[in-house]
Amino acid sequence: MAKDNVVVIGGGPCGIEVSRNLRDMGYTPILLEQQSELGGHLRRWDRLFPEGVEARKVLKELTGDLKGVKWFTDVNIESIQKSRKGYTVNVDTGMSFETKALVLTTGFKLFPAENKQEYGYNIYERVITNADLEQFFKTRKDSRIQNPKTIGFVHCVGSRDEKACNRQCSKVCCATAVKQASEIKELFPDATVYCFYMDLRLFGRSYEDMYLNAQRKYGVRFIRGRVSEVSEDIDGKLYVKAEDTLLGKPMKIKMDLLVLMTGILPGDSTQPFSEMLKIPTGEDGFFTPKDTILEPCVAKESGLFIAGACTGPKTIPETISEARATAIQVHKYLS
Amino acid sequence: MRERFLIGFDPFVLPFMIGMAFVLTYCIVGLIRVILQLSKADRRKLAASLFKPANAWRNLRDMFCDCLLHVKLWKRNPRLGYMHSAIAFGWFMIIVLGHIETFIFVPKKAGLFYYPIFFRYFMQMDNYSLRGSFFFFAMDFFLLIIMSGILLAMYKRIRSRFFGMRRTTRLSLTDRIGLYSLWAIFPLRWIAEGFTAGIAGGSFMTIPINMLLKNIMSNPENITVAWWLYSIALGTFMIALPFSRYMHIPAEILLIPMKNAGLKVYHPRKGFALAQIYTCPSCGVCIDACPMSASRQNLKDTTVYLVRQIKRNNARRMNAMTDKCLMCGKCQEVCQIALQSYDIRMRIRERATYNLELDHGYLDSYNPTLAKSKVLYYAGCMSSLTPVTGRSVRKLLDVARIDWTQMDPEGGVCCGRPLILAGRRKEAARMIEKNTSIIESSGASILLVSCAICYRVFKEEYELKGIRVMHYTEYFNELMEEGRLKLNRGALRYAYHDPCDLGRGCGIYEEPREALSRVGIIAPAEKERAMSVCCGGSVGSLTLSQEDRIPITQASVQNMLYSKPDRIVTACPLCHKTYARYSPVPVVDFAEALCDGLDRKG
Repeated sequence: MAKDNVVVIGGGPCGIEVSRNLRDMGYTPILLEQQSELGGHLRRWDRLFPEGVEARKVLKELTGDLKGVKWFTDVNIESIQKSRKGYTVNVDTGMSFETKALVLTTGFKLFPAENKQEYGYNIYERVITNADLEQFFKTRKDSRIQNPKTIGFVHCVGSRDEKACNRQCSKVCCATAVKQASEIKELFPDATVYCFYMDLRLFGRSYEDMYLNAQRKYGVRFIRGRVSEVSEDIDGKLYVKAEDTLLGKPMKIKMDLLVLMTGILPGDSTQPFSEMLKIPTGEDGFFTPKDTILEPCVAKESGLFIAGACTGPKTIPETISEARATAIQVHKYLS
Repeated sequence: MRERFLIGFDPFVLPFMIGMAFVLTYCIVGLIRVILQLSKADRRKLAASLFKPANAWRNLRDMFCDCLLHVKLWKRNPRLGYMHSAIAFGWFMIIVLGHIETFIFVPKKAGLFYYPIFFRYFMQMDNYSLRGSFFFFAMDFFLLIIMSGILLAMYKRIRSRFFGMRRTTRLSLTDRIGLYSLWAIFPLRWIAEGFTAGIAGGSFMTIPINMLLKNIMSNPENITVAWWLYSIALGTFMIALPFSRYMHIPAEILLIPMKNAGLKVYHPRKGFALAQIYTCPSCGVCIDACPMSASRQNLKDTTVYLVRQIKRNNARRMNAMTDKCLMCGKCQEVCQIALQSYDIRMRIRERATYNLELDHGYLDSYNPTLAKSKVLYYAGCMSSLTPVTGRSVRKLLDVARIDWTQMDPEGGVCCGRPLILAGRRKEAARMIEKNTSIIESSGASILLVSCAICYRVFKEEYELKGIRVMHYTEYFNELMEEGRLKLNRGALRYAYHDPCDLGRGCGIYEEPREALSRVGIIAPAEKERAMSVCCGGSVGSLTLSQEDRIPITQASVQNMLYSKPDRIVTACPLCHKTYARYSPVPVVDFAEALCDGLDRKG
């Protein structure tokens, strides 16, 4: 019995997992990815919290078995038409796909750190982002990281910041910061590592251990307060001004490396799809599902499903569970 | 012409006379109050300017051009200009001609206020009436002009866009009474004169109406009814006048000499300010101009409504509206009477009391040692939030081989402008004093500032002997003119944003454009120079929420994108930061844009 096509847009962990599950249920998933490789942001990451599983392994697991999934990379969506039967998806390579059910797993993007100019990303030599640091962990190559003695992590760069037009919490960066602070301390055991946070929002199983380890084992210094500005001296050293709100005192620390924990924004394609397919978005720009509690993966329009980080920041295990749930929802819709 | 009645009086003139007496008394008392509220020095200044021939001529010219012809409105929108000058000048001419007629034909009645107004009722044609035909024609002609103005005014209420206004003022009750009685006056006069046209004579407006409605009009009992109505309309208008926006008619006559004498606002609702407040005609031009008009809910906080609250002495609303204002000064720029809303708001803010004492104790221990140099560069606190500004300025200074020192490499003392804007002059004075002593002891001859906000306070509030305060747009332009800074021109299109404090605040419009045109092509914004739109980030507003600022910034960015530029250039770090979040094209600092010309090969 040949079952229907299902078009899945976005080839990150969520899109891949939705496709794999649909295939297992006998459908023919068509997975469309804008970039030249599948895997999304996971490709840029080195290790995943809380246990430090290698991202490479997870990705290999996900992409290793794609038999029966028709996947296309370097594809841009030109237009999507809704008809009585379902959707027609036209792409820039000239192909078009008919589908009764359409799954959007368009993901997120990281806040462009340049937009917080006071932190000096792309202005000062030794200011990097969380994504840059992961790249360094992977390749061990970055001219900006030269045996640093003092390292700072700035939490909530472009999250929970109305002036950066982003009020929402990005949810995963606190855990990432704690993970990265511990990892960098492992690499540079002599360095002093600071984390500047507003609140620490880590939750979930074994996250607390990771946090306690960061303090006890790695001696990471957690300072509650926002960084106000960063300046640079002639030698390229950074001066970080912040307030320790627990002591109620301003502080100024000289640093060799500053890591900006950039927050999560809706992906660039969220807005165009929202207009094209009439999916409402919240004030934060992420897609709003039909019912946030009982139907988090279903859009208001029939036959349209939304899953993964396009409906808000999520961890990898959450994304995977949501992908599987979505596959079941699609199956229920089609049968 | 000869008189119809021996006594030359009829009870119907009473409504007019009562209104007239009321309005005259009100204005005279008001005039005395305003004059008494002025300081002695201001009063002397005003008196002296009245008798200076050049100034007296200026006063007369301004009164004629502004009050009667509304020249400024003509420039803004010819339809709006015609509407206002038709009513104002037409009415003025009817009054003047009425007096001339009275003076010529019945000189002994020239002293009666009502005689020239109701001339057609009291006089009738005789064999020599040909002598009056000039007046018949002229009176009807001006009546026609006024009526055309009134028709346009009615249309404006329905469709203000026809007159170039998106929004008009919401009228208060007294404004409405004034408006409707004003509209009624002239048609009623037309009808009243139509009734008597058979007896007293008339011209192309009044005779036809008399002939068309002969049956009604020839009944002498109806005549007085028509004149009663005309008089009542006049009386109602004049009684409503002091409490409505029409107070601007007499008040402007007082305001013009005060303005030309160069008086300053010292209190938000006394003296010069009071004269300005009564002169506000509530035209609402400031509503469209206000950057806050980007979102509807803030419309009620624009200048025209502030003036209304000041008139009513509603302290709570006055303070709230004043604190919300961005202090961008645009309303003042478009205002027909140049109402000094910036000064009035500053005076309101200065009168507010604060419970919080500020601790500036650190000032005493802050004594930086600065290397002696020709140019002292003050980057200001905002520049540490936009580090690219300071970096680009330092680069340009080095390239031009300038002997310079930075005054605040690790943060210095605030220029004082945010405190001044918050009305806290006393605290600001401490900063100004400290900075003045640092600058004067540095031995520099030029103080270079890269922030429009700092620049304005250095210009307005500091007295720096022998030191030239220069904004970096002026300074780098001068260096380029002198050939000391050589930059190469590229093909990038720059849209230059005039920061409020630099443009409207200090009048610097040309230098930044000249300098930028040496490194690229200027892509004009839709509204620029004095009409430039505030970025929405202004430190001027004390209470405007981030949510309310977002639409302002978005509208302002749209204005900058008018000619599809490659870059938006600002000469103020605050505008830079504000724009950067919302602009689809890169936002660069002025100095950063000049650095583009350094890297380029010639």
